[in-house]
Amino acid sequence: MSGPLAPSALVGLALTPLPLVAVLMLRRAWDRNGPDRPWLIAGAWALLAATLVASGFLLGGARGPSIVLALGSTLALVLVATGVEFRNAKKKAPRELALEPSERRRIAWRGWLRGFLAGPLAGIAALGCGLAVAICAPGAVQSRMVIGGLLVPFLWAGGMAWTLSDDKILRATAVLTGVSVVTLGAAFLKGAL
Amino acid sequence: MDAATTETKTKTSPKPGKPIWPKVPADFVRAMLAGHSALGLAFAALIYLVCFSGSIAVFTQEYTRWEQPAGPVLQQTTPQAVDKAFRQALTHNPTAHDLLIQLPEAVRPRLTVHLDDANKAERTFVADASGAVVGELKTPWTEFQAELHTVLHLPRAWGGFVVGLTGVALLSSLVSGVLSHPRVFKDAFAFRWGGSKRLQEADLHNRISVWGLPFHLVVSLTGAFLGLTVIIVGVLALATFKGDTAKAYALFTGPTVVDDPRPAPVLDLAKTLETLRAAHPQARPTYLYVEHPGEQGQHVMVNAVTPGRLSRGETFVVDGDGKLLGEVGYESGTLGQKVLSSMTPLHFGWFGGWPVKVAYLLLGLGLTSVTSSGVAIWLARRRDKGRPAPRWERVWIAFVWSQPFAYAVSALAALVLPAPPVTVWIAATLAASATAIVWTPAAISVRLRLATALGLLAAAGVHAALNGGRMADPVGWIMDATLVLTALLLTLSTARRTTAVASH
Repeated sequence: MSGPLAPSALVGLALTPLPLVAVLMLRRAWDRNGPDRPWLIAGAWALLAATLVASGFLLGGARGPSIVLALGSTLALVLVATGVEFRNAKKKAPRELALEPSERRRIAWRGWLRGFLAGPLAGIAALGCGLAVAICAPGAVQSRMVIGGLLVPFLWAGGMAWTLSDDKILRATAVLTGVSVVTLGAAFLKGAL
Repeated sequence: MDAATTETKTKTSPKPGKPIWPKVPADFVRAMLAGHSALGLAFAALIYLVCFSGSIAVFTQEYTRWEQPAGPVLQQTTPQAVDKAFRQALTHNPTAHDLLIQLPEAVRPRLTVHLDDANKAERTFVADASGAVVGELKTPWTEFQAELHTVLHLPRAWGGFVVGLTGVALLSSLVSGVLSHPRVFKDAFAFRWGGSKRLQEADLHNRISVWGLPFHLVVSLTGAFLGLTVIIVGVLALATFKGDTAKAYALFTGPTVVDDPRPAPVLDLAKTLETLRAAHPQARPTYLYVEHPGEQGQHVMVNAVTPGRLSRGETFVVDGDGKLLGEVGYESGTLGQKVLSSMTPLHFGWFGGWPVKVAYLLLGLGLTSVTSSGVAIWLARRRDKGRPAPRWERVWIAFVWSQPFAYAVSALAALVLPAPPVTVWIAATLAASATAIVWTPAAISVRLRLATALGLLAAAGVHAALNGGRMADPVGWIMDATLVLTALLLTLSTARRTTAVASH
């Protein structure tokens, strides 16, 4: 009744040079605008894809790619950090004009409405979509429930991002209300898994 | 993400090539940035707290071993020893409703039995290789940090909702951040430090965000799902089971055993494990959950892992007579069951041994610093525009460094004081945050880092002094060494700024 994780940890570590090489190729393509640039980019992505597939065979279909993505992301960040360029604080570099967030007029009711849309209303609409999938979609009941459940935070996040950035908040109100009514109505009308 | 990284490239930077990313309209980017900024500011403190506590929680099993490093340390056990430990623990409360027996495994080399005693107090007993109970497991700091991340020490339903909502806000920030970053490829490797504060923070913010994106998406989505489960299942039950959530959860609990409170001889766990071994020789049991021991309806849910799987393991249901009733389906069932059982390992990085745990810690701390730098960018932008917010600059930096400090102090206190770690954590957070009243941002940053380093050194020293002679688990020493190393790194990180602070 024991099972050390060391072997799988070592296999995971053994695979990490591959995504590292892929990121190095991407950095080389980014660094030099030569004729080999498209090949470097294509080769890097092909190597990443091949590593993910190989990890699936070596470490498990879902587990292998998860391990490679976690270790690969960490190594990529380390590589980015090694290329840090220290700037002289006293010598200001010339700058292009940076994009700024859009300036909105501060109107209290719009602020409250935007908060209501991003929070409760987007949440209710997302919950409605998740419920509709759980209750109305085909397939095994457990799968419908989990996929519907996963859709809720994902759609809520999307709704939040949209309502907080869209200046036409009445449009967002109408769409979210409509989605909530239709999806919750469908879910409660069917009412059985 | 901040679009302010459009500084003209210096001679060391690459020549711009033909853009790969489609050109995004400036108005769209500006609108996205406004939404990203508003959401980030509204949830900054919560996202920061959840990300920091989550990074630390990756090593929860190791904290258990650090807090109780004395033996017996077991690499394996026998069915007979498991049964003996179960029976001995049961003597503390023969009418216990349920017991959790955790078997030794590489990440947690202990045989323990958890139950409520006759006074309804939760207790965890430790057994040796023969199954004899030899002591009690007490890990207050481990429990404190796990509960801070999962429910913020609020009532479970509310805490889960707040953490889930924070996960949604984080996920939303990722979406708006990616959409407001038109130079995602052009700046992919640009990392400039020094000079303009805003550009420095923007480079840090954007590089970590982009290269850590797969991890950020996974932890925010799984975290939001785990936190919002109560609400999602509640509404689902309202729509389909007239509000009976138990019926919704029953879809994920496998074969049911009819509740029958009539007395019966206590079941034999050795027989349970042998039945399972005969039916599934490749499955490695990790824990057993015994329900209603000593009743006709007694049964056991055995969790067993199969090598190469992402899931937490399959759950087998065995009745009081040792008959295998079936399995829940976490590894053999529907796609939904498989996905569900993968959520927790995927969220905490508990699926690939220590390399993945280290990666999760670093990526988690990266996400924490993305949150911190997001607010720093907003503050720097205000300063650049001639509308500085010095109070908020002090408050934010104090809050940021309050958490490592409060964690170090609470860990130290848990070793020597009977006070609950959460009380110490609250007091330390308030004290560290109060430095915003008296110190400059630079002084707050340096002094709280040094104070944290001191706390970590003290925790490692006190731990070694208290347990040095009986440290059977090598993880105790490894954790102490890690604390010392972290303290050194924190001290080194202040080296450049200490002179500047001293001159104030």
